[in-house]
Amino acid sequence: MRFPRPLKTGVAVLAVAASLAGVTACGAGSKTGGESAATVACDYPMPAESTTVNVLAYNSSAIDPFTNTMVKSCSRDKVTLKHDPIDFAGQVTKTTATLAGATGSYDVLETYGFVVPGLAEHGDIEPLDDYVAKYADKYKLNALSKEMRESMSYKGKLYGLPMQAQMYVMAYRKDVFDAAGIKPPTTFAEMIDAAKKIQAQGNIKYPIALPWNATADITTNFQAAMNSYGKDFLDSSGKPQFASAEAGKALEQMKSLLPYMDPQVTTFDQPKVQQQMFNGTAAMAIMFSGRMNDLTLPSNTKLASNFAFAAPPAVESGAPYLYSRLSVDGWSIPKNTKLDKDMLFQMMASSVGEDASKASVPAAYPAREGMVSEDSSKYAAAANGTIGKTMPAAGDPKAAPVTNAIRPILVQVITGQLDVQAGMQQMQSIAEKTISGS
Amino acid sequence: MRGREFSVLMGPSLLVMFGLLVVPLVRTIQWSFENVQYGSPGDFVGLSNYAHALTDPRFGRALMFTLLLTVIVTAAILVLGYLIAIGMNGLGKLRPVILGAMLVAYVLPTIVGAVSFSWLFDQNFGGAVNWVIHAITGQDVLWFTETWANRAMIIAHTVWHMLPFSMLMILAGLQGVPNELREAAKIDGANTPKTHLYIIIPTIRGVLGFVCLITIMDVLRTFDNLIALSPQADAIGNESIMLYVFDSAFRDGAQQLGLGSAINVLSIFLIIICLFPFIRGLLKEAKAKA
Repeated sequence: MRFPRPLKTGVAVLAVAASLAGVTACGAGSKTGGESAATVACDYPMPAESTTVNVLAYNSSAIDPFTNTMVKSCSRDKVTLKHDPIDFAGQVTKTTATLAGATGSYDVLETYGFVVPGLAEHGDIEPLDDYVAKYADKYKLNALSKEMRESMSYKGKLYGLPMQAQMYVMAYRKDVFDAAGIKPPTTFAEMIDAAKKIQAQGNIKYPIALPWNATADITTNFQAAMNSYGKDFLDSSGKPQFASAEAGKALEQMKSLLPYMDPQVTTFDQPKVQQQMFNGTAAMAIMFSGRMNDLTLPSNTKLASNFAFAAPPAVESGAPYLYSRLSVDGWSIPKNTKLDKDMLFQMMASSVGEDASKASVPAAYPAREGMVSEDSSKYAAAANGTIGKTMPAAGDPKAAPVTNAIRPILVQVITGQLDVQAGMQQMQSIAEKTISGS
Repeated sequence: MRGREFSVLMGPSLLVMFGLLVVPLVRTIQWSFENVQYGSPGDFVGLSNYAHALTDPRFGRALMFTLLLTVIVTAAILVLGYLIAIGMNGLGKLRPVILGAMLVAYVLPTIVGAVSFSWLFDQNFGGAVNWVIHAITGQDVLWFTETWANRAMIIAHTVWHMLPFSMLMILAGLQGVPNELREAAKIDGANTPKTHLYIIIPTIRGVLGFVCLITIMDVLRTFDNLIALSPQADAIGNESIMLYVFDSAFRDGAQQLGLGSAINVLSIFLIIICLFPFIRGLLKEAKAKA
C-alpha cells in the first residue's frame, strides 16, 4: 500500500515533534527544588516491606520547603516518599477523590484551616491528638503556635499538624511611594488617594493589583473585606451573613477600588498579580504572605530592591480588623490510608521540626514559634503586624461549600452585571439553600 | 478469515474498547439518573439531573457558545485548510520544513499551546498582539473580559491548533486527485476556480467530510484551552459544555457526578446530531465504492 508523500512526511515530522514535546513535558514535570531542600532527622521504625508514601501537596514557594524536606529526609531504605507537582485547584479535586472511598491514592495530605472542619465532620481525616501527645517531646511539637493548632482543629480535636500560615500582606513600590510623597495606606480610602497620586505621576495607569480571579480568589477577598468589618460568611450559629449591612459595605468598598485596577482584574490570580509587580505595571498589591518572598528575588524582577512591605489596610477607619485572611496550612493523615499512621505522623512531624521550619524562612511563615523575627525577611514585620489584626476563622464545615456556591453571583456584582442589593439577596438565598442541602 | 483467527486478532481490540468505551458509557448513563458522590453507590433520582441541566441557564449559554464555536471553527478550518493545502501542494523542497513548522501547533499539548497563545494577548506577559493593536488604533482590547474579544481569541487559538492536521489530511487528498482529471478540465477550458469547484473538491469530498467530522467532534469537546484563554468563561458567556461539566462535577471538590453525567449524555446526543449528515455521507460513499 502506498501513501501520498506529504502524508508520510507529515507523519514523520509529527512523530519527531511529538517526541520532542514529550521530552519537554518530562522536564516540566520534574520535582520542584527538592534537591536544595533541608535535610532533617526523620526517625521512624522501618517497615518490613517496601513502602511508597504518596504525598499530596500543591506547589508554592511557601509549601515546597516543607514538602521537599519531608520527601528528601524521610525517603530511605525500603521507604520512598512520592510527591508529584500539582497546583492548588488540582489538589482540591484530588483531595475530594482520594478521601471518598475505602482506599485512597494518597497517604499524607496538605490541608488548610478552611477545609479541615468539613473533612473532620465527614470523618475523612485522622485526629492527631494521641500522636501529638506521644511525640511532643521528640519533635518539640508544643512549640507549634497554639492559634495555628486551633485553626487546624475541629470540635476540640487536632486534625492537621500546622506547618505554616499565610496572611495578607501589602507589597508596594517604595520608590514610587516616596516620589509621590505617600505612606502605605491604612484604609481603602487612603489606598484610593495613593492610587490617584500615583496615576497623576503618569507612569502607572493601574496602581492597585489584587487577585480577584473569578474562579477562586475573589471570594477570599470578599471574605477579607467582610472580616475587616468583623463579619464572616457564616455567623457562629452557621447562619449566612450575606444580607447584612457589613456585606453590603464590603461589596461597595471592593467596587470603589475598580477604577484603580486593571479592567481585567477578575481574571488575575496571585501569580498574575506578582507579574504585575514584577513588570512595574502596579505600585501596590495585597496577596497572601507566601507570595511575598518571590518579589524580593532579583532573579524574578529588576525591581526587587524597590519593594517594601506593610500590613494591609482596613476597609475603613475604625474597622475592627484589617483586610486580611489567615490561612493555616498543615499535614493531615487520610482515614483510608493503609500505611502505618504512626510512621506517617513522624514523617509529618519531622517536616515541621525546628530545622525544617528555620530553613523555610523567608519563603514561609512557619507555625513553629520564634522562627520569624522582624529581620527574618523583608516582609516579616508586615506579616507579624497583620497576624494579630486578622479576624480569626470560624471553622464551620459549611463555609467551603457556601463559598463555592456564592462565587458566580459575587463575580456578577463586582463586574457590574448585578447591583449590590440584588447580589446580596441572591447570595443569601443560595447560601441558605446550600446549607439546607436543597 | 477463520473464526478463530478473527477472535485472536480482534479480541484484544474489542476488550480494550469494551473497557474504555462501553463500560464508561454505560456507567455515565446509569449515573445520569442518580445522585452520585465519590466512593458511594448512587441514589436513583429519575430525570431530575436532566431537568436540572435543561432548566439551568448556564447550560443554555454553554450550549450556544459551543455550537457557535463549532460552526465558525469548522468553516474556518475547511476554507483555510484547503487554501493552505493547495499552496503547500505547489511547494518543492520547502514543503517538509513548512509542514513541520505548522505541525508544532498541533503536537503541543493543548493547555501548553493555549497558555503560550494567551500571552500574545496578555499585557502582563508581553502581549505582542496588544502592542500592535495599540500602535495602530491607540485602543486597548480587553481580550479576557469582553465576550466577543474573548471569543475571537478562543476561535483564533482553536483554528491555529487544529488547522495543521486538517490541512495535512486535505493535502493527502489533493495528492490523490488524478492528473488526468486536471488535464481534461484544462483541455475543456475550465479556469482555476472552476477546476477546484467542479473537479478537485468533488473528487476529495470524502476527505473534506472526514475533516469536518474530526473538527466538529474535537471542537464540541473544547475544554482545556479555555482554562488559559477564558479565566472567567461562565461570567462572560464563553463556557463550553465540557467546562460546564468539569465545573459541576469536579471543580472545588464539587461532587455532582450525576449532573455531570447527565450533561455528558446530552452532549453525546448533540454530537450525534451534529455528525449525522457527515457519517451518513461517508457511509454512502463507502457503499458506492464497494
